[in-house]
Amino acid sequence: MSRPNESTVLFDALGPKGRRNSNIASIISAVVILGLLAFAAFQLNTKNFFEPSRWINPLDALVVETTWIPAIQGTLLAFALGSVGALLLGVLFGFGRISRFALTRWASTGYVQFFRSLPLVLLIWISFTIDGHFGFTTETLGWTNEARRLTFLVLGLAIYNGAVLAEILRAGVAALPPGQAMAGQAIGLRHGQVQRLVVLPQVLRNMLPAVLAQLVILLKDTSLGYVITYPELLHSAKIIGNDYSNSYLQALVIAALIYFVLAYALSKLVVLAEKGLRKKTAAPLARVKQIEVAAVAE
Amino acid sequence: MFDNFDLMVAALAEGMWTTVWVTLTSFAIALVIGAILVIMHVSPAAPARWAANAYTQLFRNVPLLAVLLIMYFGLPSIGIKADSWVWALLGLGLYTGALVGETLRSGINSIPLGQAEAARSIGLTFGQSLGTVILPQSVRVVIPPLGSLLIALVKNSALVSAIGVTELTAQSRRLIENPQSLYNLWAVIIGVTVGYLLIAFVLSFLVGIVEKRTAFVR
Repeated sequence: MSRPNESTVLFDALGPKGRRNSNIASIISAVVILGLLAFAAFQLNTKNFFEPSRWINPLDALVVETTWIPAIQGTLLAFALGSVGALLLGVLFGFGRISRFALTRWASTGYVQFFRSLPLVLLIWISFTIDGHFGFTTETLGWTNEARRLTFLVLGLAIYNGAVLAEILRAGVAALPPGQAMAGQAIGLRHGQVQRLVVLPQVLRNMLPAVLAQLVILLKDTSLGYVITYPELLHSAKIIGNDYSNSYLQALVIAALIYFVLAYALSKLVVLAEKGLRKKTAAPLARVKQIEVAAVAE
Repeated sequence: MFDNFDLMVAALAEGMWTTVWVTLTSFAIALVIGAILVIMHVSPAAPARWAANAYTQLFRNVPLLAVLLIMYFGLPSIGIKADSWVWALLGLGLYTGALVGETLRSGINSIPLGQAEAARSIGLTFGQSLGTVILPQSVRVVIPPLGSLLIALVKNSALVSAIGVTELTAQSRRLIENPQSLYNLWAVIIGVTVGYLLIAFVLSFLVGIVEKRTAFVR
């Protein structure tokens, strides 16, 4: 007999009567769930949600080419630049928080605590608004509107997620047995070498699932470009909705589905990373798992 | 710096109050949804588990802003209308409910298997072992992560400014975009920052008290 898991140990092994009851419960719950779905679908149908004419416009080849494709590109571009920025800031401030120099520690702690407690949407929108209050605007530098919006979106994404990633990495360093750094020192490595050659590679590997989970959140957060009218998926859906007011809901649903596909694919990568990269680690697995659970809340 | 300072503080305080009640109300909704989800997750009926899983995956992979926009801008186009605060509470609640469900589930999973085995071996039924052994322990385990969810919800609640609820972010926007520029930009920015830090600080303090009260040695 295989080892029971937490959800089966609560039950007795079912006898014939129990199995019958369980089957009846399954059938009833299936009927209830399907009934609710059918009811929702029926309601949507009576409101003409599935009316083909409402789906044709937002899925028109021209609209796909001129709006959806650039929107996906815009979303992925902001995601790629934001991730790189966030990872750089995360490593910088994560290791800054455990620096030997008190001033670096204080500055990094201040950065992390401050930016982690502000809503990202406020950060993006304020940085976009104060542009032009320093006596010059980025427009006078010859930046296009597009470039300005991308810059402030990426800036906000990188600063906020950098603070979250710094916390994740710091927790990863704390989870690593101190013997690892000591062994590095014992063979005569300098402090910087210990951090770079012994600590950082292990922390990155242990924390990869948590870091990737945060990147999924970053991908979803690119939708905040909407508030500064950066041409990402939601903003494009709104434009399509304005053009074809009948298809407003349909356009938004399509945008949400695209987000779902992108984020789901990325989160499948997280699962793969968990399976593959957990094998080589000095940190106790339970501790790593705990940090991950805590990180999901952000 | 201090042009119309008292007016600004009054407006921001009003926004803070809205942020707080939107956060707390939608968190209550999220707790109910999360509890239902976790019951479905541990239930012996497979379809219930599948449905809970589908719900969780859906809301974990769609941006909150998309949920809010679909409700507020999308649904009226097929004739489903409600006030913006209704959609705000519902959207935040549905979205956070999925996260609460996951947190509660990891709480149940964190209880050592031996506890359930011990409960079963002294003859407790499914309901008894869940109700008197597993849940009382897991409730305490999940309080710290639920606390961080609540504080994250304060930040997420800023998104409802996009559907016309005048919480703290929307108020600061209104003050800055004031056509006669009655308010100092920097004063508003500092004010809204202090507002969010204050809310986060007070909530962390309260969560800390609950954590201490419920802490136990394992």
